[in-house]
Amino acid sequence: MSHVDDGMLHAYLDGELSPAEVQGVDAHLAQCSDCGRRLAEERALIARAAELLALAAPPDRELPPFRAGDVKPPTRLWWQVRLPLAWAATIALALGIGTYLGRDTEPPRRAETTTDAAAAKPRTPAEPVRGLTRRAARTPPAAQPAPPPRARADNLPRPRPEPLVSQADTAAAYAYAERVADSVAGITRRKASQDEHGRWQKGDAISIDSARRVLGADPLVVPGVPIEAFYRGRSIGYSGVVIVEQALDSTTMIEVINARSAPAVLDEVVVTGAQPVRSRPAEAAPPAAPRPAPSPGAGLFREVRGPLSSDSLAALRRLLRPLRP
Amino acid sequence: MSQDLAEVYRTTYRALVRFLYRKVWDAERAEDLAQEAFARAVVHKPDNARGWLFIVAANMARDDARRAARERRHLTLLTAEPQASEPAADDALHVENERTRVRAALEQLTPRDREVLLLWDSGVSYEAIAAQTGLARGAIGTTLARARRRLVEAYEAGQRGEHVARG
Repeated sequence: MSHVDDGMLHAYLDGELSPAEVQGVDAHLAQCSDCGRRLAEERALIARAAELLALAAPPDRELPPFRAGDVKPPTRLWWQVRLPLAWAATIALALGIGTYLGRDTEPPRRAETTTDAAAAKPRTPAEPVRGLTRRAARTPPAAQPAPPPRARADNLPRPRPEPLVSQADTAAAYAYAERVADSVAGITRRKASQDEHGRWQKGDAISIDSARRVLGADPLVVPGVPIEAFYRGRSIGYSGVVIVEQALDSTTMIEVINARSAPAVLDEVVVTGAQPVRSRPAEAAPPAAPRPAPSPGAGLFREVRGPLSSDSLAALRRLLRPLRP
Repeated sequence: MSQDLAEVYRTTYRALVRFLYRKVWDAERAEDLAQEAFARAVVHKPDNARGWLFIVAANMARDDARRAARERRHLTLLTAEPQASEPAADDALHVENERTRVRAALEQLTPRDREVLLLWDSGVSYEAIAAQTGLARGAIGTTLARARRRLVEAYEAGQRGEHVARG
């Protein structure tokens, strides 16, 4: 048998070798004085390291009682920890929605001066679905080549390199584009998202390092929202799936799905996402896919699910950023 | 289920605090986080509660460190430690100095080496360390050997540096 390496010696001394391995090491140690000496050295090293770590141990305190009866987590603690971030998330969302609402009243007015009279009808935020389909339905085909400029801009995917803070505008623009897609085909989409839910099977909890290995990239997360855990996921057609659980507040948990896929499969996903847009009536131009925006974390399919409205989920999806080490 | 968890709590709570303490360096905070990890375990009912707890704790400590850095609170935390703020007894002062030195030495390890060492020192098995860090089980011994050696070296180098500075 060749000499025993350091790793093997440490595993041996830590009692982490299988009986067969222990036998092998013992047999070698019995006839190799070099390794015998090294064993003594490594034993001293392990003891010294443990000693040092003990110096940096927390003060030993009484074991606090276990709240076994609690079905819910202790809310006070959660609030202490989560409140500032929950607020930050709320404000970020409110900013995005506020900007969106603020802008929403403008494009119809601009449209009034151009061609589309039907669109001039002020839309209340509560009924974008009807407002939108009505506009699409009533618009004569001739008017279609010159849609309101903003709407077109919104449908174009574009890279968003700006930092989170200055993103309210872009997020709103994306929320708008998302909303167009959402509202036109709400039902199709809802059904799709139900399918979606069953599609991403959640597996074991894993560490961030494993998540990176599974994806071959930094997982995408909603920045500033506490991460509860990473889970390995499974889904047909994807070579690696990681589901990141993030706590928006003490009661709201969202899941960010990261999936690594072959380019062909990714295309397929984008087409599926764009389908609602394509089914829009009287759509002359080729359907603009509102989903791709592939700049950060390119090659990863991402999805956010949770007990929130599709608008909020879309807004969160737009905020996703790679989690840097 | 909660019976099982109570047992895990009894056997794992201190180890979890120990693990967290070396990450947040604040005893109260470490205990709060450990409590929170268990509170989450009550809700999630994970199969392998012990492994799950350490993973969640590692994530929470990382979030906590991020948050602390963001709020520039770590400076306040450091100065809030009794260290030099009050005329402590010699013994207490000595313990505090040692702790600071070990902490400095630990921070010289690579994040992966440190993680493996801290998990091991909190009583996590090679198997579970491998599962948590994504390392092969066979690589844990090597990683630990390296981490221990570097810890001791960094600590002793720090001490030498101090003596040179004093002397």
